[in-house]
Amino acid sequence: MTTLTAVSEAEFATLRDTLQVSDSVLSKHVAALVAVGYANSRKGIRAGRRTTWISLTAAGRTALSTHVAALRELIAGVE
Amino acid sequence: MESSDGWPTPDEAAVALAEAEASRTKLARGVVLPSFFDAAIGAAITVQIATTALGLADIGGWARWLLPAGVVVFVLVAVIELARFRRLNGAWLGGFASRVVGGTATAAAASYVLSLGAAVWAAFAQAWWLVGSARPPAAWPARGAVAAGSGPTGRRRRHTAGGNRRRGWPCW
Repeated sequence: MTTLTAVSEAEFATLRDTLQVSDSVLSKHVAALVAVGYANSRKGIRAGRRTTWISLTAAGRTALSTHVAALRELIAGVE
Repeated sequence: MESSDGWPTPDEAAVALAEAEASRTKLARGVVLPSFFDAAIGAAITVQIATTALGLADIGGWARWLLPAGVVVFVLVAVIELARFRRLNGAWLGGFASRVVGGTATAAAASYVLSLGAAVWAAFAQAWWLVGSARPPAAWPARGAVAAGSGPTGRRRRHTAGGNRRRGWPCW
């Protein structure tokens, strides 16, 4: 999810290459995020091929911010 | 990786944050402009400004048809260049079209207005050589907008993945 905050929308293959995961792993994660409303997934065309474009929803960005804040509190509690 | 109560340890949390940020930065740094993007947008803006100026200076004559023609040319070039950007990067930046192509960024808008004003003045003064030379600098707004929108560091570099070379221009 953090990776998606760098852009408004990213193509499936671009995200896969950036995260260096397999198609099936990314697909499962995207499906899970879409199921809880944290991400949007839509079909599109790139270079004449059908592809999938993924973006974060407002709820997803909020949830990510909350999660990052919690992790930082956890780290700060040790320092 | 998580501790028994479901929460990560501070070390795990730090590693998770660092890895997430590294992925984000990697994607951001991979965003590049298509080749000759600046030149194409700059040329389209020049044509649009020149045709607008000529059209306004001869609004009752045949040159008035240059006004919409210039806009059509600009829109066509803009659509093509934005499609090239999206195809090259496999990603889209919010506000890219409006800031870079539409010129809604303050500096871009200001330079466009000044250039258009100068061109219109030149057209009415029949200083035709000036009409074509009055154009805003197209290079730095495009690069600045991509740099600003693509990540915290905003630096771009040529990206090579899986042996396939992506043609792009750095945004700095």
